[in-house]
Amino acid sequence: MTTVDSDFFDVQRTDDGARIAVRRMLDINTAPQLAEQVDRLLAAKPREVVVDLAGLDVIDSSGVAVLVKLYKGVRNLGGKLTIVGARDQPLAIFKLLRMDKVFGI
Amino acid sequence: MVAPMAAGAATPSIRLTVPGTLAHRGVAVRVVAEACRLVSGHGQPPPVEVDRGYDLRHPFDAAVVSAFAEIFNNIVIHAYGAGAAGSIELAIATSADDVVIDIHDHGAPFDLAAVPSPELDALPEGGMGIHIARTMLDDVAYAPGPPNRWRLSKALRPPEVTP
Repeated sequence: MTTVDSDFFDVQRTDDGARIAVRRMLDINTAPQLAEQVDRLLAAKPREVVVDLAGLDVIDSSGVAVLVKLYKGVRNLGGKLTIVGARDQPLAIFKLLRMDKVFGI
Repeated sequence: MVAPMAAGAATPSIRLTVPGTLAHRGVAVRVVAEACRLVSGHGQPPPVEVDRGYDLRHPFDAAVVSAFAEIFNNIVIHAYGAGAAGSIELAIATSADDVVIDIHDHGAPFDLAAVPSPELDALPEGGMGIHIARTMLDDVAYAPGPPNRWRLSKALRPPEVTP
């Protein structure tokens, strides 16, 4: 099992995918770091990815873009992405962009 | 053109000038978040001590900060772009029931009216910033410069008042 830690997220590889916990903020300053990990994860062809946003306080369109990229990548591999724990401002953004239903929130 | 000051908004009482870089984005966002709390929290401190700059539990604060952050991104990325970053000047007016944020930058102007709404059903990976700002606020006005002038405004409505 591989784990990648940063101040804003950690990626924990599982047997068939990964669990990603995002904290504090996912915005134009932090999203590029997560995008790098998303590229590496997708290269490993994950089947099951869970993104835990319970610790996330703020997201912007750059952060949303990374999650959409991950969703599309996993879907194109025939896998499944689940987002859990979204609340407050991030949840409001997902609803505004009508992504709450796509992400199964 | 930028509309006249919205009725009910006080004379700008908070002013801040920051370099137009992503490194200074957090400073501006925190100031706007605290200004919003003067409206939504009626000047009262939050019930629990938290990292207040990112305490966006009140829908009013979340909406205004979300919109402001997108406009700040837009200025840094598109107005200043690869060129030398100039300044971003904020003048924030708060009253008991609304906030008006004037933002001036000295970068390249653009045509706000020409920005299309994103095709949300296609799950876009870009082009969502202006849509977020327009949807979250009561009004987003822009006048090309120099300086380019943004005015973001939103009123606190009764359903958003925390019991």
